[in-house]
Amino acid sequence: MSFEERILMELKAEITARADRRRRTGRRLFTGAAVAGLAAAAAIAVPLLTGSERSAYAVTKNGDGTINVKLNEFRDADKLEQDLKRMGVTADITYLKPGKTCRGDRGEIVGGGSPEEWKGSASEKAVRLLPRGGMDIDPRYVGDGQTLVMAFTENADQTSEKPQVLWQFAGYVVNGQVKPCVVADDPTWNDIDGPGRPPAGS
Amino acid sequence: MLRKQAGIATDHVAFEAFYRRHVDAVTRFLARRVDDPHTVADLVAEVFMAVLDSAHTYRAGLGTEIAWLYGVARNTLSAERRRAFKESRLTSRVSGRRPLDTDDVARLEERIDAEGPARKVFQAMADLPEGERAVLELVVIDQLTVTEAAMALGIRSGTAKVRLHRARRTLRGLPFVMEGTPG
Repeated sequence: MSFEERILMELKAEITARADRRRRTGRRLFTGAAVAGLAAAAAIAVPLLTGSERSAYAVTKNGDGTINVKLNEFRDADKLEQDLKRMGVTADITYLKPGKTCRGDRGEIVGGGSPEEWKGSASEKAVRLLPRGGMDIDPRYVGDGQTLVMAFTENADQTSEKPQVLWQFAGYVVNGQVKPCVVADDPTWNDIDGPGRPPAGS
Repeated sequence: MLRKQAGIATDHVAFEAFYRRHVDAVTRFLARRVDDPHTVADLVAEVFMAVLDSAHTYRAGLGTEIAWLYGVARNTLSAERRRAFKESRLTSRVSGRRPLDTDDVARLEERIDAEGPARKVFQAMADLPEGERAVLELVVIDQLTVTEAAMALGIRSGTAKVRLHRARRTLRGLPFVMEGTPG
């Protein structure tokens, strides 16, 4: 086969891959739920440490002014919000059961108009998930009158002894008032490779 | 036309037709600027990847497919030069350079040789201001019309004419630049 034909095959495979990605996340993405879905697609395997003697989370200040948050368990969201508030970030944190999502519109999302707008927006920059677990929050991207909205969906299997647990995360900055999370079934829960499948620890 | 063009990024049949229509022109365009067969092949893939990303930017009313495509190719080439081929999506996905068999290499080398005079012209043009050089390149070497060259560069047609005139005046001692190269 000539190189032209091989390149054509690669490109067709890319077109198919893109169509698949759009089907998984796209349609829901920039309608109502907007960017939430985009961030949610970044479902990753994160070590979630368990153990009753530990607190649910740990918050520390990094040298560069960002705030590191490590989640041990998905509880005490209110307390974490208060701790973040003390450190200068207004946050709205929701922990969701497996297969659930916050329905619809939670407010005016910064950078929520299109993928182009999202790129480089405060929403994209405000939270960075760390490959080894936890996340860094950058207070500079959450201004006065804005709220960092974060929703975590836990994995179906929280009893696994193995520390590796998959969860799903959506994070973005909202201008003005944040509407409360209306919990609903997540129709894409089983579509995205990751959350809910395979079960925790596998 | 616009709808058809938008379809090339999502429709296999439309994309294949577009690819076959232009792959040769793109390969030659790159062979005029790069003299390594593997790099040319990688860049051909990159240019058409970029087509998938930017198919929505094509407007039929503003010029021909080839002018738009050369614009994409120019941007790809300069981006790739900056990145020195590192971390390019396609090459990383197929892990390193795509394998070329001896036939591929021979055919690519043939094209690279055929474009040798054009690469000499590039050297002669190296001292021109970037804006003038870009127009001259597309008109004299890539055989676009001035209007098409303007489209490829995203500038006004009048601006392109002025730049072309200036470039030619600077280089009037070089006959091959004045005449152009055979298509």
